[in-house]
Amino acid sequence: MSLAFLIPAALAALAALLLPLLIHLARRSEQRPTAFAALRWLRQKPKPRHRIRFDEWPLLIVRLLLIALMALLLARPVLHGGEAHTPYVAVAPGIDPAPARGVSARARVHWLAPGFPSIDAAPGMTNASLASLLRELDATLPDDVKLTVFVPQRIDHADGRRIALSREVDWRIVPVAPPTDAMRKAVPPPAMVVRHATERAAATRYLRAAALAWQPPDSGAKVDVASIEQPLSPNTKRLAWISAGSVPGNIREWARSGGTLLLDVDAKIEDAPAWTPLWRDEAGDALVEGAAYGRGRVLRFTRSLAPQAMPQLLDPTFPQQLRAALEPPAAAPSRVAAAEYKPLTGGPTFAIAPRDLQPWLALLIALVFLLERWLATSSRRAVAP
Amino acid sequence: MTSPGTRIADFIPPAVRARLKDLRLTSRRAVGLQGLGLHHSRSRGAGLEFAQYRAYEPGDELRQIDWKLYARSDRFFVREAERESPLAAWLLIDASASMAQEDKARPGWSRLSAAKGLAACIAELALRQGDRFGLVALRDDGVRLLAPGAGLRQRDRFLLELHGLEARGQWPSPEKLRPLWERIGAGDLVVLLSDGFDEGSIEVMTRLAAARREVLTVRILTAEERDFPFSGGHRFHDPETDEELLGDGAAMRADFIARFTQARRELDARLDASGIRHAEYVLDQPLDLPLRRLFGARDAAEYA
Repeated sequence: MSLAFLIPAALAALAALLLPLLIHLARRSEQRPTAFAALRWLRQKPKPRHRIRFDEWPLLIVRLLLIALMALLLARPVLHGGEAHTPYVAVAPGIDPAPARGVSARARVHWLAPGFPSIDAAPGMTNASLASLLRELDATLPDDVKLTVFVPQRIDHADGRRIALSREVDWRIVPVAPPTDAMRKAVPPPAMVVRHATERAAATRYLRAAALAWQPPDSGAKVDVASIEQPLSPNTKRLAWISAGSVPGNIREWARSGGTLLLDVDAKIEDAPAWTPLWRDEAGDALVEGAAYGRGRVLRFTRSLAPQAMPQLLDPTFPQQLRAALEPPAAAPSRVAAAEYKPLTGGPTFAIAPRDLQPWLALLIALVFLLERWLATSSRRAVAP
Repeated sequence: MTSPGTRIADFIPPAVRARLKDLRLTSRRAVGLQGLGLHHSRSRGAGLEFAQYRAYEPGDELRQIDWKLYARSDRFFVREAERESPLAAWLLIDASASMAQEDKARPGWSRLSAAKGLAACIAELALRQGDRFGLVALRDDGVRLLAPGAGLRQRDRFLLELHGLEARGQWPSPEKLRPLWERIGAGDLVVLLSDGFDEGSIEVMTRLAAARREVLTVRILTAEERDFPFSGGHRFHDPETDEELLGDGAAMRADFIARFTQARRELDARLDASGIRHAEYVLDQPLDLPLRRLFGARDAAEYA
């Protein structure tokens, strides 16, 4: 264990130790009047010796200690190497902790949950990433601590690749009845409604083709393409608005309440949000920009829907590209069998963060202050001269 | 009852009063006053102490003739004895401001308190022996004088006078001391209770002694003057001259004690040269210690 200071320059505050000493000496120099009739035989020394003398040693020492501790507090002391070196056992939540307790009598057993609560406490239900927690644990434990981890045979929220830790991990897999959660349903293909101005009817064919391409080949679904006067059906989720000029208020309201609105290049929308490119061409220029809008989203083409302006309309990948821009990417699979997920070694090693001593020092200062008050006000003290 | 030197209601502590029994006021000078007392007298007359034989003269009483000597020598001799007579004791108390000085260790017990206690003790001894005793308080605003007398009423007057006595001012000038010369008779016992710091007091004593008065003195010192226990900075203040001196107690201790001891030794030599019996009393000592030195068994042996 070694002590270090984060702000060693603050130790200059130790110069304040001179303060009580000087006050003490200054107080001593005052003269007490004394009646003395035999003054005739009393002679002033030619050079009066001024010996440095201290009385009330305990009080002075306590006050000096108080100031020294405050200077130390300013210097932010930290302690290196104060960590425990006993084996560490981490138990993923949801596992019976009984076998974990039997690993070693000296071992510390904790839940593998944010904050690493003790095994005696109840772990809060969490969907924190097990990999992230393991990396944190690995970084906060000293090198020579043996780490044992109890995991269920199926791990959710796993990373895309096996994690690499700085140490060998004793990876124990506990069979746990898998939770009976419903299987994820297949995502239905998106349906898009197109509303267009009459002079731009030619542009709608690309959108209709793309919307049809999203549907299964033999579903026989139809794409609702109509002029802008036609009202929307109530369960419309996506709307392509191919018209110049301002977007009417009811459409904006619909978009704000959760719809996805795809605008023509000439369409204007008041209170337009800051656009973010969603789809770029090979040259890197944005073809589709988008932004959040209320609870919904707004997207717009940056070019007019004509092959001369936008050759990508004729690309075979146009429907996929447009769908990707319209829909947020699906979450990557994150469930893995624990046997396949044993951490690798060779990960980065981190220096252990030193322990901050400031709270303990503050407590010590409070105690010393109480002692100082007790000494200074106790009745045992002689009358101050 | 709040001013210094007036706090003690009974001047003699009980323990000291008990020890006063074996003390006697003595005078080395024979006195010759009328009346019966303990003290030697130069006048011959009826008494226990044999003085001389002399030849019979007409007019002598027949019962004074020593008939056994007549049987041996066939001549008339008259046996004479010393007449023992009472003594007048004067208690002189210095009431200048320096007498109000106290020790820090024992507040309320000033030099003047000790002087009052000693005076009361001596008055008690005198009362027991049938001697007359009087009081003189010496202060520059006037000498208070209680004429000598004997008896319990004189003692009450004496104690009343002591109660009202306070220490202030300085040693009186020689003109104000004239009542001393007028009232203190030859052969009287004079006891001066003082700190002995005033040159005037020494002068008065030596002149009284030279004028055939039996002079005794008790020099009353505070324990601080003997030990000088001061440490740290002090402003020493002389209550009589208002002089002040700043100094560090520990630094001045050795020098002061040496000089003060030397001064006391010289003063003792002067007193011895004048035939003045003297004793020293420090405020932390029992009150009868100086009396024992002055009137102890050694001097009182001839009175036994």
